[in-house]
Amino acid sequence: MIAEKVFLEISHVSKTFWSGAGATDVIDDVSLTVDEGDFVVFLGPSGCGKTTLMRMVGGLDEPSAGEIVLEGERVTGPSRKKGMVFQSYSSFPWLTVFRNIRFGLKYRDDIDAREKDEIARHYLDLVGLTSFADFYINRISGGMRQRVAIARTLAANPDILLMDEPFGALDAQTRERLQVQLLDIRRVERKTVIFVTHDVDEAVFLADRIIVFSARPARVIRDIPVAEYLPGEKTLEARDSKAFFDLRKMLLAILRDQTERGETMVEGE
Amino acid sequence: MKNPTSRQPPRRRPWRALFRFRAEARPDIELTVAVAAFVSVLVIWTLVTETGIIAPLFLPSPLAVVEALWRLFAVGGFINDIGISIYRVWAAFVIAAVMAIPLGILMSSYRIVGAVTEPIIDFIRYLPVPALVPLTLIWLGIGELSKITLLWMGTFFQLILLIADDARRVPHEYIETGRTLGARDSQLMRDILLSAMLPSMVDNLRITLGWCWTYLIIAEIVAANSGIGYVIWAAKRYVKTPEVFAGILAIGVIGLATDQAIRWLHRRMFPYLG
Repeated sequence: MIAEKVFLEISHVSKTFWSGAGATDVIDDVSLTVDEGDFVVFLGPSGCGKTTLMRMVGGLDEPSAGEIVLEGERVTGPSRKKGMVFQSYSSFPWLTVFRNIRFGLKYRDDIDAREKDEIARHYLDLVGLTSFADFYINRISGGMRQRVAIARTLAANPDILLMDEPFGALDAQTRERLQVQLLDIRRVERKTVIFVTHDVDEAVFLADRIIVFSARPARVIRDIPVAEYLPGEKTLEARDSKAFFDLRKMLLAILRDQTERGETMVEGE
Repeated sequence: MKNPTSRQPPRRRPWRALFRFRAEARPDIELTVAVAAFVSVLVIWTLVTETGIIAPLFLPSPLAVVEALWRLFAVGGFINDIGISIYRVWAAFVIAAVMAIPLGILMSSYRIVGAVTEPIIDFIRYLPVPALVPLTLIWLGIGELSKITLLWMGTFFQLILLIADDARRVPHEYIETGRTLGARDSQLMRDILLSAMLPSMVDNLRITLGWCWTYLIIAEIVAANSGIGYVIWAAKRYVKTPEVFAGILAIGVIGLATDQAIRWLHRRMFPYLG
C-alpha cells in the first residue's frame, strides 16, 4: 500500500451466518475507512448487521469475505487494542466498582501494581464514581454500571473504542446524561470510537460521522459528515437547533424506509 | 397499638399473607409457624406412642429414641461410626468435586471435550447407584475403597453435568470482555468463568453432598461393619427400633448442620449477591 496510512480500513467485508435452516447474509460487501480520532456512529434498523460489523472490527467475529486492517495490521482476533463496551452484562458482579475498573489493566505486564491502582483511580474519577469505589455492581444503577464498563475499557488504553448500543437499556434521562458525559470524556481522551445504535437522536448528538446501513444484509447507504451539518460545540442546546432537527428528520426518513423493507424479511439478529 | 399515628400498615390478621399466592415474605410469622409445626410433630409423636396407639416396636417414643441415642454414644462407640461415615462421604465428595470442577468447565468451554464426554456421562448418570453395588464389591471387595468408589460414582457423573451447566450459563459478554482486555484462555477460565460461576457451583456442591449421604447408607447397609448405615442395619436385625430411629436422626442432624454451614459460607463468600 502507498500514500498515507489509514487508521481503520474495512474492505469488501461480507458475513454469512450458517445455521440448520441455511445461510443468512448479514453483511454484504461493505467497504469503508475510519480516520484516527473520529467518533463514528453505525446507524441502521434493528437486526441489520451493524453490530456484527463492529464485532468483526473488534476481532470477536470473523468476516466470511474481505478483510479488516487496523493500524496496518490485519484483525484476526480480539486484543487489548480494541476495547469493547457491551449493552449488558458489561461489569462483573463479583467485583467492586474499583476492582472492575482495575480489571481493565489486569493483563498488562508493562506496568506494576501500584501504577495499575493509580490508573484505575484516575478513570474512576473521570467517570465520576469516586464515592462508589467500594460498591458492588448490584448496588449501583444501570447508568453507573455502563460508566464502570467505559472506565474499565479506557483503563486498558485501547487504540479504538467499540461501543455496542451501550446506552440502549437505560431510561431516557440517564441516557442523555451519559451521552453528554461520553462527549466530555472524549474531549480528554482523544480515542477513535465506533458507536453502534439504532437511535437517530443519539447518533446525531454523538457522531462526527454517521454511517447509515440498509436493512439486512447490511450495506452502506449513506455516509454523513455530521460536523459539516452541525458545526460548533456539541451541547444539549444544540439539540434544539434547526440543523439538528433537519438532519434528524432526514435520517429518520431513511431508517423508516429501510425498516419497512426489513420487515418483509425474517426477524432476528 | 403503641403509636397510632405511625406509618405502619394495619396488621390485620398478618398470617393470611401466608395463604396468598406469592405473597411477601413474613420471616417472623413464618418462623413461628415452622416452630409450631415441628413441636406439633413431636407432640403427636409422643401422644401416639405414650398412649400405646402405635406399638413401640413400630414407632418408639421420642424419649426412647433419645435414650437409644445415649446408649449408642455411651456403650456402642457411635461417635466412631459417625466419624467413619463422615469420612467416607467427604472423601468421595472431595474426589468427585476436584475431578468434576475442571472437567465440567472444560466440557462446556471446548466443544471437543463436550462431544467426547457428554454421551458417556449422560449414560452412566442414568444408571441407578444401587445397581452398581455388586460391581464395586466384585471389583474392589468390601474395603473403604469400594464404598468411596460407589459414592464417587453416584456424585461425580451428576456433578460434572451440573458444573458444565453452571459454566455454560456465564454470560458470553463476560468472556468477550476478558478477551478484549487481553486475557488468554486459561486466564479467562480462572479469572472470569470460575469467578462468575462460583455461587451457583457452591450451591450445586451443597446439593450433591446431600445425595452422597443417600448413597452412603446404601453402601454401608450392603457391606460394612462400621458407619451409621451399619448401625441402623445391625439394630434392625435385633428389632431395636429406637436405635434405628437414633441412627436416622443422626444422619438428619449431620445433614442439616452441614447444609446450614455451607449456606452460611455462601453468604460470607458472596456478599455481592445479597
